[in-house]
Amino acid sequence: MKKIVLTVTLIVLQSQLLSAKTTISWWQFWTDPTIKPVIEEIVSDFENANPDIEVELTDLTWANGHEKIVIAFASGNGPDVVELGSDWIAEFAVNGHLAEYKSDDAIKSDIQGWEMSTFQDKVYAKPWFLGTRVLFANRDLLNRAGYDSTFAPVTFDQFREAVYKVDSLSKKIYGFGSNAPEKHRLYKKYLPFFWSFGAQIFSDDNRLCLLASDYAVNALNYYKELHDSCGFVAKQRGIEDAFLQGKVGFVISGDWLLKRIDNEKLDFKLVSTLIPGKKYPGRSFMGGEFLAINNSSDKKEAAQKFVEFLTSPANQVKFCKANRSANPSSNKATEDEYFTSNRHLQTFIKQLRLANYPPVDPNWVIYEEIIEKAVEDALFGDGQPATALFEARKKIEALR
Amino acid sequence: MKQKKTTALFLALPWIVTLLLFWLYPIIYSFVVGFTNKRLLSKTYEWVGFDNYKTLLTDEAFLVALKNTAIFVIGTIPFTTIIALLLALLVNKQFKGRGLFRAGFFLPSITSMVVIALIFTNLFQRGGYIALLAEMLGFTVPQHGFLLDSSTALFSIMAMDVWMAVGYYMLIFLAGLKAIPQELYESAKIEGAGVVRQFFSITLPMLKPVALFILVINSIKSFQVFVEIFVMTQGKFETSTMVYFIYEAGLTTKFNFGYASAAAYILFVIVALFSFVQFKLLKQRGEAW
Repeated sequence: MKKIVLTVTLIVLQSQLLSAKTTISWWQFWTDPTIKPVIEEIVSDFENANPDIEVELTDLTWANGHEKIVIAFASGNGPDVVELGSDWIAEFAVNGHLAEYKSDDAIKSDIQGWEMSTFQDKVYAKPWFLGTRVLFANRDLLNRAGYDSTFAPVTFDQFREAVYKVDSLSKKIYGFGSNAPEKHRLYKKYLPFFWSFGAQIFSDDNRLCLLASDYAVNALNYYKELHDSCGFVAKQRGIEDAFLQGKVGFVISGDWLLKRIDNEKLDFKLVSTLIPGKKYPGRSFMGGEFLAINNSSDKKEAAQKFVEFLTSPANQVKFCKANRSANPSSNKATEDEYFTSNRHLQTFIKQLRLANYPPVDPNWVIYEEIIEKAVEDALFGDGQPATALFEARKKIEALR
Repeated sequence: MKQKKTTALFLALPWIVTLLLFWLYPIIYSFVVGFTNKRLLSKTYEWVGFDNYKTLLTDEAFLVALKNTAIFVIGTIPFTTIIALLLALLVNKQFKGRGLFRAGFFLPSITSMVVIALIFTNLFQRGGYIALLAEMLGFTVPQHGFLLDSSTALFSIMAMDVWMAVGYYMLIFLAGLKAIPQELYESAKIEGAGVVRQFFSITLPMLKPVALFILVINSIKSFQVFVEIFVMTQGKFETSTMVYFIYEAGLTTKFNFGYASAAAYILFVIVALFSFVQFKLLKQRGEAW
């Protein structure tokens, strides 16, 4: 009898041990009702393909997600896998919170954006989705301003002229949607002009801050002219509202505007085109969503398996279709018909190849604030562009 | 007796534990952290003595926040208190639709601050109703609206705050008015005292404890102004206040806990001193009354 009990106990224990699953936690930002079910579906597919791994999903919001992640990592309770904005990677990496991310060459060559997660020659996160901004225009307003139905501005001179012409159509119509001060947004609107005028934030050897160069000042003067003379000034959402109501000729925006047009079933003659340049083409701003693994996680292998699954070309296409996203990190994914058959998505894909990303620096979030303040002073305060940028350069140099 | 004490202690235990864990510990911890250079993400930190306090006193952003908080407190409390008192006197009278007015004045106080702030953000912007009204009345409206201009942003938020807060303090004044014995007014009338004399000799002195309460809680609330700033301007256009500064230093970009804790303790000392002075002044004034 004793033997039977012992055998049964051993069998039960063994089966328990065999069925013990590894649970990995994943914190992510996709909570929109149109996309959350797709995220859950992908997670479920992963669990079916890997019966020994279970994924615990936690939603974050853009309003306070960064703070939550920082607090979690600081208290040693960070998730195994976390979605990070490209600007945040260096600040977590420098403090030893992220595990180095190693991929084989085949995967590496298919994915774009590794440079944004490379800090001190080590890669700390895998690019999931990238994002850039393009120039959107209202075709009806361009036609009314005397342009034919193929026109899109390619140089800054053409762009300025078109903005002025649209702005002069009526008192209730504005040439350009200009951002009001809004954290993490205003500087992203200035930097495309900054880069397109030939300016750079730091010198190539990273020793000097070049924020107040002639190129940078000219870019801010140009941006300020559009803002002062023809600007519809509001927060990003307000600008997009006005644009979709036909009150604004040009706005710089991301792929979420396409999603909005689709979701709200707006009948709108939309032009999407590359950011103009002093010499065509100009440069836009590039960022992205990355997946990183917690350095103190004891389930790194399962975590990496999950990251690879999420970022597979097929799953990126699935996600992009649901979210109307334009820029998967996988080159293979961009070959899908969903992208190739849509001219607006093609604009984004082309623009991404003509986009710059901010320096990968743990202090970038602080520099970003300083740059944003300079733009704010020049556009809304008493500051002249040259003075505002000079002050910003001094502050950044003092911190380095 | 001993058993009774043990039972009492046992019953109070949940409260005591909560107090120690969630109130006392963070208060002491943040005080200690104020003397370190602790940043949230960094795994190491050092004792820096009074460095955070010294830096704060020369930090332009902190001094601007301090100045704005002072403007906010001094600029809103008298208006809020006086308007609340006048409204309380008004709705204390018998007239048709009195209940509706009371409810109407009180309604903003029970509405979410975030909702109010979002509505006023639209009202204050160029083309918003307040901006249009101001234009009709001949005032100059800033090019991009009231909240996107340093000369008007803080005052606009203060005006909204007064509008929002008066209903709540009106209700407290109203409760105070109801508690004043009617015999005092009847005697005063017999003695020939007019309405003004009755107000200054009976109403105001009798409302002294209520006024003190309102002044103290209104001051503390005004010193801690945050949500309005966060929603409407994010501290831009010269609207950053002390609590917003603490939030920015400790919980956003820099996650500089040590610095933010030191700033929080400076705010604590200011609020404590301000409340103490208010108590003293009103006590003296009360004795004079």
